Amino acid sequence: MADGGIHKVQVEALVVMKIVKHSSQSFPTVATGSIVGMEVGGTLEITNCFPFPTVDVPPEAATSSHAAESAAQLAAAAPRAKANLAYGAEMIKMLREVNVDSQNVGWYTSTNMGNFVNANTIENQYFYQKDLNERTVALVHDVSRSAQGALSLRAFRLSPSFMTAYKEGKFNVESLQKSGLKYQDILVEIPVEVHNSHLLTVLLHQLPTQPPKEELEFPTSLASLTADAIPHPLDPNFDSLDLAIDPYLEKTADLLLESIDNHHTELNNHQYYQRSLAREQAKITAWQTKRKAENVTRVAAKQGPLPEDEWQRLFKLPTEPSRLETLLNSRQVEQYSRQVDGFAANITSKMFVVKSNLLPGEN
Amino acid sequence: MAGSSFLHVARPLPGVGPQPTTAPLNVSIQPQALFSVIDHSLRRDQETKRVIGTLLGTRSEDGSDVDIRAAYAVPHTETDEQVEVDMDYQKQMLALHLKANPREVLVGWYATSAELNTFSALIQNFYAGQPEGTWPYPAVHLTVDTTPAAGIAMQTYIGVPIGVTEERSQDSCSFIPVPHQVKYTDADRSGLELISSAKDSDTRAALVGTDLDALEGAIEKVLDMLDRVSNYVSNVLDEEAEPSTALGQYLMNTLSLAPKVDPANIERDFNNHIQDVLVVSYLANTIRTQIDLSNRLATAALTIGGGEVTGENQGGERQGGDNRRGGKGGRGGRGGQNRQQQREPREPTES
Repeated sequence: MADGGIHKVQVEALVVMKIVKHSSQSFPTVATGSIVGMEVGGTLEITNCFPFPTVDVPPEAATSSHAAESAAQLAAAAPRAKANLAYGAEMIKMLREVNVDSQNVGWYTSTNMGNFVNANTIENQYFYQKDLNERTVALVHDVSRSAQGALSLRAFRLSPSFMTAYKEGKFNVESLQKSGLKYQDILVEIPVEVHNSHLLTVLLHQLPTQPPKEELEFPTSLASLTADAIPHPLDPNFDSLDLAIDPYLEKTADLLLESIDNHHTELNNHQYYQRSLAREQAKITAWQTKRKAENVTRVAAKQGPLPEDEWQRLFKLPTEPSRLETLLNSRQVEQYSRQVDGFAANITSKMFVVKSNLLPGEN
Repeated sequence: MAGSSFLHVARPLPGVGPQPTTAPLNVSIQPQALFSVIDHSLRRDQETKRVIGTLLGTRSEDGSDVDIRAAYAVPHTETDEQVEVDMDYQKQMLALHLKANPREVLVGWYATSAELNTFSALIQNFYAGQPEGTWPYPAVHLTVDTTPAAGIAMQTYIGVPIGVTEERSQDSCSFIPVPHQVKYTDADRSGLELISSAKDSDTRAALVGTDLDALEGAIEKVLDMLDRVSNYVSNVLDEEAEPSTALGQYLMNTLSLAPKVDPANIERDFNNHIQDVLVVSYLANTIRTQIDLSNRLATAALTIGGGEVTGENQGGERQGGDNRRGGKGGRGGRGGQNRQQQREPREPTES
């Protein structure tokens, strides 16, 4: 992971909480914001963040599904919108006055079930990685997966080979072969670590913690026991023991189907391209043979031969569709299948626990 | 916090113009606001004793519940004689914040010391007053004591006007403590779990783990608690520990929650669900393989005549051949022999 020199992303607890808050508030719309911090010896320390303004949709336009779609589009494209850049610059200027790190090190986005690998994410990250400086990351917070227990917060960068390819803007078969770029190398994941300040550690020890180890007074009645319940400790979170399976599987299957549809569309585009290419080429060959035959007769008639490369003007070869969408789609499918694998590992262990609990003596 | 109670006596001062209401109110603080305050306290200049900032959040319709959701720092300088708060900064920052969080309103301010002094009263009146303050609602003042080596003590107040004449009441204020609690939402839980998992480590850091790690932690914790309870119960049975009827009842109630179901039903449901999970997992991976295959075929098959045979990588060639065979089965194999040669230049970069 020599890429960009960042091998770890260290996120302050404040940033985690702010992202969680912003993402869950605007769920299911994508929430985006900017992160600030600095890079120290290969570790990118993210110390603060702020959300980008929400996009205003005129109420009368919001009713149609098309407008809602474009609003989602706008929200996803927010990190590179001009107004938001100005907003970010202004905010950073303000934050600098109160001694907050004033270096923009990337952006964050919320996602739902890991469907973040799309043209918008790539374009945003490209925008940041190209312009601002080399060392920027995209933090991705998965709202629905976090709701099931463990927090899902990941950091991504675009790989250098993808950056070069994207800069050229060429994603046809030839360039892909030359660069050897595959969908696996689009994004580079960087391990994320949360970090607490000393003061925060003090505070955390004051928040509800483990039950006390020493002997306690016995409760006098059942009512006093329920009335004076011991608060749940924050760690571990027993939400991860939840046994709900079907919603997750349904959602995953839906998303997979969507990906397959996309893939199919792309394939059709490509096949169409191939057919029209073959048709054009057949036409060209026919024209060339005809012209050659014509030239032979002209030479026989002692006339000057007609130019043979005129076909380049007469026929236009269709342009090859970009394979970028296919690449991203493949990466997205990979993401889903990894996710499902993790989920399956998790849920099978839980299922067997429950089974052996309800059917003792079976094993 | 817990166990403290408050008595509110509201008595309007005659003749001092518009006053904020002083009705009792409940304050809940969300962790991210608290974290912001602590972060700001760490980032203050060394010589400053305390720093202040603005609290934002939501207020219920009657104004009796205040939910503090966010906070931002406001620069100020404080000497023995005077205090200066950067009003422009406060105004601009508020505007910026409201742009991104249109639903939140100004609810008050915080200071990072437990002390309440004359300047506190001045600032309180600024935040509570017209036209930019929280008027007609009272402004909430949150003090977070961040003195090193002491615990973090939090206290919330609202101000009531006090003073004999109108001029005097401008810069004085009586702080009335109001109850508060730290509240977190369901969405915050997973974040807080991760954050608090780092609280006992020396580096004060924790890696974002997988779901499986979280599950392991939770199961270990449950086992630990079960051990503790069964230990107690067997001790009671051996007459080594003091029995308690209340605890007994509670355990009975809890145990009776376990459902009584037919083993055959369990077996059936279990198998159904586990099959669901495995099928979706299998499907996802099959789809991934198919798409991978289709990608490889697409980039390989279309360059008939464009590639060159270098023959320097035997391993790559073999691998390419394998892929081709698989491809023929799946997609009817366009391109034939050429494809094997096309693949070759790409292979070295794959490993």
